Amino acid sequence: MPVYRTGARNKKPPPDGFEDIEDTLLEFANKMKDAENASHEGKKKYEMLWPIFQITHQRSRYIYDLYYEKEAISKTLYDWLLKNNYADANLIAKWKKQGYEKLCCLRCIQTKETNFSSTCICRVPKAQLKDDQTVQCVSCGCRGCSSGD
Amino acid sequence: MLHSATLPPKPPSGLPPLPPGWTEHKAPTGHLYYYNNETKQSTYARPIAQHAFTPQRNPPPIPYHPPSFSGASPGGPYGGNFNPQHQGFPGGHRQGFAGGQHRGRGGHRGGNNFQDRRRHEEDRPKHRYDIPGCKPWVLVKTKLGRRFVHNKDTNESFWKFPGDVMKGVVEFDRVEREKRERRERGEPSEDEDEKMAEVDEFALAATAICAPEKQLRDEMAEDSSEYEEVEVTDDEDENEANPSKRQRTEEPAEGQPIDFTEDDIAYQLAAMGEEYGLDPGEYGNGPEEEWEEGAEGLPLTEEDSKALFRDLLDDYHISPFSTWEKIIEEGHIIEDGRYTVLSSMKLRKECWDEWARDKIQSLKEQREKQEKKDPRIPYMAFLQKHATPKLFWPEFRRKYKKEPEMKDMKLSDKDREKLYREHINRLKLPQATLKSDLTALLKSQPLSVLNRSTSLVALPPALLTDLRFISLQPSTRNPLIETYISTLPPAPDDAAVSAEDDVEMAKKRAERERREKALARREKRVQEEKRRQKRDLEVGKGRLREEEMELQQAMRVGKDGLKSQLGYLEDDNRRASDVGDDQDGSE
Repeated sequence: MPVYRTGARNKKPPPDGFEDIEDTLLEFANKMKDAENASHEGKKKYEMLWPIFQITHQRSRYIYDLYYEKEAISKTLYDWLLKNNYADANLIAKWKKQGYEKLCCLRCIQTKETNFSSTCICRVPKAQLKDDQTVQCVSCGCRGCSSGD
Repeated sequence: MLHSATLPPKPPSGLPPLPPGWTEHKAPTGHLYYYNNETKQSTYARPIAQHAFTPQRNPPPIPYHPPSFSGASPGGPYGGNFNPQHQGFPGGHRQGFAGGQHRGRGGHRGGNNFQDRRRHEEDRPKHRYDIPGCKPWVLVKTKLGRRFVHNKDTNESFWKFPGDVMKGVVEFDRVEREKRERRERGEPSEDEDEKMAEVDEFALAATAICAPEKQLRDEMAEDSSEYEEVEVTDDEDENEANPSKRQRTEEPAEGQPIDFTEDDIAYQLAAMGEEYGLDPGEYGNGPEEEWEEGAEGLPLTEEDSKALFRDLLDDYHISPFSTWEKIIEEGHIIEDGRYTVLSSMKLRKECWDEWARDKIQSLKEQREKQEKKDPRIPYMAFLQKHATPKLFWPEFRRKYKKEPEMKDMKLSDKDREKLYREHINRLKLPQATLKSDLTALLKSQPLSVLNRSTSLVALPPALLTDLRFISLQPSTRNPLIETYISTLPPAPDDAAVSAEDDVEMAKKRAERERREKALARREKRVQEEKRRQKRDLEVGKGRLREEEMELQQAMRVGKDGLKSQLGYLEDDNRRASDVGDDQDGSE
């Protein structure tokens, strides 16, 4: 029978610089927990996951900014964060592509999941929408995430 | 207030007397309620006597005593010239003054003394004039046209003017009358020194205080009759017929100087213009010119405003690793004046991003300069305190697994175990060996890290992480180290690096001061601008009012045609001059 190993004693510590962002990440985690436990009373069925998507987006954006924009964290720490699911690597991969700089979630560009094999309404630039047409997409509650806006 | 405390409370005149056994009380909220001592009943609805008896029974003194005047010395405000007819009001409105000066408390305190104010619910201070020659005293004119004097320094108010103030008031009246006459003749007056803003604030405070007791009026109105008489001081100028009936919206009629006509506002504008040292033509011409003219002093360039914003971020010790949304949510920086130097949220966010990037870079550099803190140092100290040869490593680990030193992930468990075992082995050695080991360790330290100026609390990390250092008890170890340090020569000198740093720091500080000065200038200008706009608005309103009045007059043309209108105008003029005569007579 294998030895049952517990606790942090066999775990590697996170890379340097993690202490700086630990608080903010903890806050995101708490927010996520609150969103998970929030009541669904009075919400539409498709609305229920919106806060989850939003917090994931925010947290991924935070780490993306820290690494690519502010160059505040090291490569090792960034990789470690991705490995530990602090950020969505696939979403960040899209952000690096032209035209997807503000993408809200991966669902919104899945053309195969829609009836007319098109992207979500939130991907449409504001200029091409009708005047005073407000949109909020069904998949994540995004109000518009095209790069030109 | 004084009054209500000294006189026995009378049953309210307007309501039927209470049946025997019932007493009237006041709830802390100000509502009246009734309590029957025998049946232990209490009710808000007033119980009515079944049979027509009226033994004038006094309800017991109101248990809720308004505390607002306990602080005022009873003789103080009324002093020698106590006038039983006029009491109550100035005191009550001292609260108004207090409210004007410290607004935070005004509302709360005002709520307490409704008993006093209900007698003059319609009356409140309306205008405040500085009395020439008696500095802290101001003359306050109420809505009903009564006047009292108030000392700003001592917070005293008197209906009856004290002797020295009286002279000032007489002088003030004379000036006022002259001004009015001049105005009637259509000449501009120079020394118009009413301060609209002050008056506004003052009236505002007063209304704020009056507001909460509105709903109580019905209950309170009952004994207002006995204080009804509206007193008039000897040198009261105008006896308006029934001023309380005057509507606020009514146009200025019959020469009352209280209302602001367009003329008044124009004069104020003129006065303001003089204050700012402008030519008469300038202040009417819209704000743009003003702006450019004033802007020549210390301009706030884009870089300056950005730098100001960065200073703001620095000052609030915001973590550069935080998120922008969180900072805004916390809202500490929003209250700061420097927050508004950048006009849009987008600019602010950009500035924040830049600042965070720079800050993080500088932090990184700082950290590189600092030596790395060895995770073994706290663990070593912990071992020294808790390790005993009686415990094996697994036992020791289990016993202290909750301690932060044992949970620290920087130090691997294997290292910890190794250190523990070695330390335990060393503890078994004789004291003499341990001592000689320690001296050997001390001698091995270079002079740059360990010298005469080294203190015991700041020993070099190489020393602290060595097992030989913790093998001895601190009580025996510390004297040894101290004696060794005292034998050492002083540190090799290399402390001539900071001169350049100092110069740079001074430069930065000067730059910052300059920016802050510019910000102060800008804020002042904005205030000025605001005031001017307000004034413009009022002028506009005055004009509108006048036009409306003209329109109304024009509409009033009846069957008599133009003639009747002319007659009306004449009538107006005659009445105005009558009032002027009255004032002359009263002097």
